[in-house]
Amino acid sequence: MEKEIGIFLCNCGGGIKNIDFDAVREKLVQISDVAFVAVSSALCLEEGKGTIVSTIKDKGVEKVVIAACSPEFTEHTFGEVLEKAGLNRHLLAMANVREQCAWAHQGDVTKKAIQLIKMAVNRARLLQPVQKKELPINKDVLVIGGGFSGLNIALQLSRLGLRATVLEKEAVLGARLGEAESFSSCDMGPMISEVESDDNIEVLTSAQLVRIEGNVGNFSVRIQKAGEEIPRKYGAIVVATGYRTQLMASSEPDSGGKILSQAELCRMLAAQSLEKQPRTVGFIFDFADENSRFPTLATLDNALAAKEKWDSEVYVFCKSVKVDSKGAEKLYREARARGIVFLKCETPPKVLAKNGRVEIQAQDILMGEDTVFACDVLVAEQQILPAEDADILSSLLNVGRDSKGFYQDENVHLYPVALERKGIFVVGGCRGDLDGGRVLSDISSAVMSIYELLSPGKIVVDSEKVKANPQKCVACLTCFRVCPHSAIQLMRAENEKEVAQVADAACDACGICAAICPAKAISFEGYTDEQIVAQIEALGTS
Amino acid sequence: MSKEIVAFCCQHSAYPAADLAGKSGLRYAENVRIIRVPCAGRIDVIHILKAFEKGVAAVLVLGCEEGACHHITGNDRAKERVKYAEMLLKEVGADGGRVKMYNLSPNAPHKFVKILDEVSKKIADEEKQK
Amino acid sequence: MIIAERKLMEEIKRLVAPFKKVLVAGCGTCVAVCWAGGEKEVGILASQLRLARNAEGNKITVLEATVERQCEKEMVLELKDKVAEVEAVLSLACGAGVQTMAELFEDKPVFPAVNTTFIGKPEKEGLWTEMCGACGDCFLDRTGGVCPVVRCAKGLLNGPCGGTRKGGKCEIDPEKDCAWVLIYRRLEKQGRLALMREYNPPKNYRAVKRPGRIQAVKA
Repeated sequence: MEKEIGIFLCNCGGGIKNIDFDAVREKLVQISDVAFVAVSSALCLEEGKGTIVSTIKDKGVEKVVIAACSPEFTEHTFGEVLEKAGLNRHLLAMANVREQCAWAHQGDVTKKAIQLIKMAVNRARLLQPVQKKELPINKDVLVIGGGFSGLNIALQLSRLGLRATVLEKEAVLGARLGEAESFSSCDMGPMISEVESDDNIEVLTSAQLVRIEGNVGNFSVRIQKAGEEIPRKYGAIVVATGYRTQLMASSEPDSGGKILSQAELCRMLAAQSLEKQPRTVGFIFDFADENSRFPTLATLDNALAAKEKWDSEVYVFCKSVKVDSKGAEKLYREARARGIVFLKCETPPKVLAKNGRVEIQAQDILMGEDTVFACDVLVAEQQILPAEDADILSSLLNVGRDSKGFYQDENVHLYPVALERKGIFVVGGCRGDLDGGRVLSDISSAVMSIYELLSPGKIVVDSEKVKANPQKCVACLTCFRVCPHSAIQLMRAENEKEVAQVADAACDACGICAAICPAKAISFEGYTDEQIVAQIEALGTS
Repeated sequence: MSKEIVAFCCQHSAYPAADLAGKSGLRYAENVRIIRVPCAGRIDVIHILKAFEKGVAAVLVLGCEEGACHHITGNDRAKERVKYAEMLLKEVGADGGRVKMYNLSPNAPHKFVKILDEVSKKIADEEKQK
Repeated sequence: MIIAERKLMEEIKRLVAPFKKVLVAGCGTCVAVCWAGGEKEVGILASQLRLARNAEGNKITVLEATVERQCEKEMVLELKDKVAEVEAVLSLACGAGVQTMAELFEDKPVFPAVNTTFIGKPEKEGLWTEMCGACGDCFLDRTGGVCPVVRCAKGLLNGPCGGTRKGGKCEIDPEKDCAWVLIYRRLEKQGRLALMREYNPPKNYRAVKRPGRIQAVKA
């Protein structure tokens, strides 16, 4: 048999003390297709890497096994070393003899180390090269939503030299923010003018996305405007469709007292003169929905405004005041210092109209008693909901939403603005409970990701690492339906039957399709059935 | 060396947790053999059955916490397949209880070790009763 | 397509009990798509048989093979060599495939490992529903594209029966939609409700002589 496989053992600078490397070496050289077993003390350092390159070239091996620390750290580095030696980076199999062997057990672990390396040898034997491919991409961005987040991100992208189309389904930009909910909300006017005069930004109002095809870097969309369908191409898409609010009060018929939304109160506050200034203002929030960052900020802001403008008595009913938004704690302290009363209740207060005013019956946690407050004006709790057509858009884009209907981030901690479909990002209120500060930092983060993705004008992808074999594919559509990254399409090659095709740019190499394919038509290089089972074959007590 | 316990570990959760366990000096049974996979959803019943054909003591599939799969549905599918494998094993008189699915985060080395200790103990108890 | 379901393990084990070397043969068409007998299921069944017989102390050697379509003579002949090596064959194909194998390899017992159940389609992932009864006298044009022969529990040609439950569910099987409600709604959408007032005569079940045999025009 050809001696194709080269094995490198690393004792981690002498740090691995419970493996007898000579004994390991003795066992491994007996494998018929192993050309050599080299022991080193620091493969990851420059000298060690140099040894790998020269040994591979010297002995002319085709596959490499490295037994050392965890591949989580060094697989990438050693892959590059293989390339320097003229081998494809995917022809490397690693055995984790440090974190998952020497360090995980007491006493001598030589026997286990040998078996782990044999598992890697079995896998290495079957590895095939995977080439990289460069794909040209479109550098334009489609921003869906012409509100605060959409306009903000379009401006930031423009500053970095990227062109954006802002798609707004209403007839004007910033339509929803006309109903400002927080008295000191920003005035959209200047932002809208800036967008309209920016050469890098195209604004399409009364327009909607009706079709999307393609993958990251090369999305083909169709936009419907004025009865026509406009075809366009984009490299990335940003969802910035915002949220809507719904007043939750069972509004009793007015008998003089008023039940309002935050926006309506803001209008009252902004009015030049009022027939009668309310002497008592009440606010209810935080009961139905515990994710109440925005309502908290809006309430604090508006409560302070009411105090300042009308010198009213202000009562705020809530479960608790969550102040993790930037600036919220300061506002809360200020509100209390100004004499705004906060009543913490476990159950939502009852709201009645009585004697021309709004009566609120609440049980305060501290007093433990039922107390009744009469207000001229009550700002009732508002629920933050996803935009009306969020289900249509998310369906069109084939991306998921969480249990409340907001767009679900790919990874809550590490990558909150990306969706499971590469090239599609989400910012702003449509992600759920946010506050101004978080929205801005999300936007910055998304802008950087998009810039990094698009500015080179091309993307480098693994070519056919996951591949559907057209001979075996029966077009049952199972993989097409289950791919979480929308990376599989049905294609028809000339005069041939329709078969599944994996889009290299969109594939995230999870292997779900390879596992589920009933015809075993999908191969996932590095983790084929044979490559997995070969590791099992090295087991067994003997 | 006793019969091995095969642990299919997803590279986004259990595999780094196992690395952390080693780094933190947490110890577990020596007969555990970890096989790295890109997602628990890559594992299918045939991999589990082949492992039992080889004669292993148990097969564990470890993936991300429910609702937190990096590939959205991978761990849910793995869970269903493990259930199916359990049934297939029972059908042929093998012990369906020797294949199980677990969920954990990448920063949970203690949970990783706890799972393996539980499995090792269960096998040891069952062997004693034989 | 044809939908089939794997037989119970007890029955399959019984079929191969007298043999020490068998071939498990799959089909890459209908049964592969409905997850009953494709290459994947061949691997699983083979593995299960080995595990079962090892546990009994009566080892069995199991060969595995899958052809694109087991009802095609030319494709089945590709298995000639493997069949020659074994004592019996377990076919995971539909009845047509099992019989093709049996005909070509007359000296070897060929056993079915699946039950062929109906002509159907995927309703959603992993769920297959019966759609067609192969009656040979199709009148889907008159029922808005919904077949009452198989989808109505009573097979009524002029329904509904009057027992439809709330929510448009079947009197016999409350999990099923009443086929005639589906038919009504479909015809309503198409503006063809007049058809509901027209009488559908009894079906001519002699339209297809059983066993069916059809000669297409010679090309």
